[in-house]
Amino acid sequence: MNAGRVLAIARRIAEGVRRDRRSLGLVLVVPILVLALLGWVIRGQSSLSTRLGVAHGAGPAETAAASAITGLARAAGDQVVDVGADEASARAALRADQADVAIVLPADLAQAARGGQVDLLVITPGISPGDDGARLAALQTVLVDGLRQLATLPTSGGGPPPSVQLHHATVYGSPDADLLDAFAPALIGFFGFFFVFILTGISFLRERVGGTLERLLATPVRRSEIVAGYSLGFGLFAALQVVIILAFALASLSVPALGPLPPFTIGLGISNAGSPLLAFLMILLMAVGSVNLAIFLSTFARTELQVVQFIPVVIVPQALLAGIFWSIDALPGPLQPLARLMPLTYAIDGLRQVLIKGAGLEAGAVQLDLAVLVALALGLVVLAASTIRREIA
Amino acid sequence: MTSSGQDPAATASSEAPPAPAPGSARNPRPAAEATALRKTFGPRVAVDSVDLALSPGRIYGLLGPNGAGKTTLIRLLTGLARPTSGRATLLGVTLPDRAVLARVGYMTQADGVYGDLSVGENISFYGAMYGVRDAAQLRQALELVELADRTDSPVESLSGGMRRRLSLACALVHRPAVVFLDEPTVGVDPVLRAQFWQHFHELAAAGTTLVVSSHVMDEADRCDELILMREGRILATGSAASLRARAGRDDFEDAFLVLATPAGRAAEDDR
Repeated sequence: MNAGRVLAIARRIAEGVRRDRRSLGLVLVVPILVLALLGWVIRGQSSLSTRLGVAHGAGPAETAAASAITGLARAAGDQVVDVGADEASARAALRADQADVAIVLPADLAQAARGGQVDLLVITPGISPGDDGARLAALQTVLVDGLRQLATLPTSGGGPPPSVQLHHATVYGSPDADLLDAFAPALIGFFGFFFVFILTGISFLRERVGGTLERLLATPVRRSEIVAGYSLGFGLFAALQVVIILAFALASLSVPALGPLPPFTIGLGISNAGSPLLAFLMILLMAVGSVNLAIFLSTFARTELQVVQFIPVVIVPQALLAGIFWSIDALPGPLQPLARLMPLTYAIDGLRQVLIKGAGLEAGAVQLDLAVLVALALGLVVLAASTIRREIA
Repeated sequence: MTSSGQDPAATASSEAPPAPAPGSARNPRPAAEATALRKTFGPRVAVDSVDLALSPGRIYGLLGPNGAGKTTLIRLLTGLARPTSGRATLLGVTLPDRAVLARVGYMTQADGVYGDLSVGENISFYGAMYGVRDAAQLRQALELVELADRTDSPVESLSGGMRRRLSLACALVHRPAVVFLDEPTVGVDPVLRAQFWQHFHELAAAGTTLVVSSHVMDEADRCDELILMREGRILATGSAASLRARAGRDDFEDAFLVLATPAGRAAEDDR
């Protein structure tokens, strides 16, 4: 091994990276930026406003327990709403978006307490696992104190304090919905955005660097035709990808045991309440936005490596802010407007509305998501077209 | 080809073969025209004080060393670049103009063909961009450069010379009235180069105007008229023979050096 040659190679690489300010920035600055953003998002969470209701019977024990809980909730800053007397009315209130969390007390609290165990049902909408999780965590403190008071109620008959069992249920999604059911719509949206972005970015960069764009612009082609052609071409692949992802996520095909192979299941079998077609339309609209964002940003890249470098800058913030893990309302205040500019935000919300809640075109939230996705796609088309100039140099 | 007297070095063109005046019967309208064309990139002047009028059906050789401004001038004359000042017209239309590009061919210095497509797919693509869908016309463009039997070959598998040929076919597929060829013969072997020039003369005979840039001086004799460039300015114009006579040199390369040197100094003194 010749140390001189090894050093020469190392020096060439160091010089190359040193001159490529973008790569240098990626290595040194971007990890800090991403970590700072993550820290900000987690530590700077705005407290979600919570509308809490306690469904309870008219008996003295139930009324006392309910007022104990609502009193603590009020003290914690929650808004207390009426959700009726039983689980059915509580679910109706959640479905009508009159409450965010409902606690259902047992029909006969005193008897349950005498039996030594009190089962409390906590119901959340189940559309955004991040929101539900944050609200449940906040409730925990309220409930712990509330339950302690509950246990010492005179109705317990002076016996040993009953143990209190919390059960969590959601209005939307199947009763046995797991984390995957809740996250699948967000992840489907994310992949739809991500892969189309990278494919288009590299493809358009090649067009710029390889001289074909110059050549193309020497023909009578319109800029809008180039952008529309790209959107259609990559939109087609995005559509294909989305069909496959949706099918895999929603389907559950059982394959029987074959010879030495054990039986297995193809597909995740995600519970799906709404129209897969509507979900497909939303992802497609988002993909058009993604294609054109990539065309726009490819102006700022000179190499394929630099396109890949857009991942931590463009993709990661969207993953953190677009509502996959935390709802927009829970983000630190200054980040909320930023999140509302991202196409992924609306695609994820729309997908959740459709797939989990089963909302259709008639739902206001779905209409809003669709309208914003269309507007963002059109805006990005204009932005992309504006970067393709007959005069490149 | 006419040249105004604004550039002191360009007065040599008066010795060129009689160029038909614009508006004459033989030349109703120049194919391309430039008036006081200037293009700067920041402090760098890429093209300066260029006045040109290119007659239809002639081959113009745009000659000059690397960095003389040949490519920038071509981009100005096609409307791909916007002049800092001055005016360029193409087929009577003031540039930049999108529609006139349908009658213009441009073979860029880079091949500008898609490596992941086949030969046939590339010619179909550029044909579609120019609105040419006729299969016979597409095939004819490939036959012209002897690539008709390689229609299905992926471009990635072609040699450098074959790519150059495909690039030429893509510039001619729509039978343009004016063709700009930016160093079309770089990296092309002598046999193929002779073929290229034969095509160029056939096109000119059919009325097409060609502008061929080169830094290879031995291609000068193949052009009808020459435009000598250096440092963004036109040094001299005229036929190869007239320029040789003016410089008093038999070898064109020597002639270029003679013609280029004093003007080069003058241009530097100007700044």
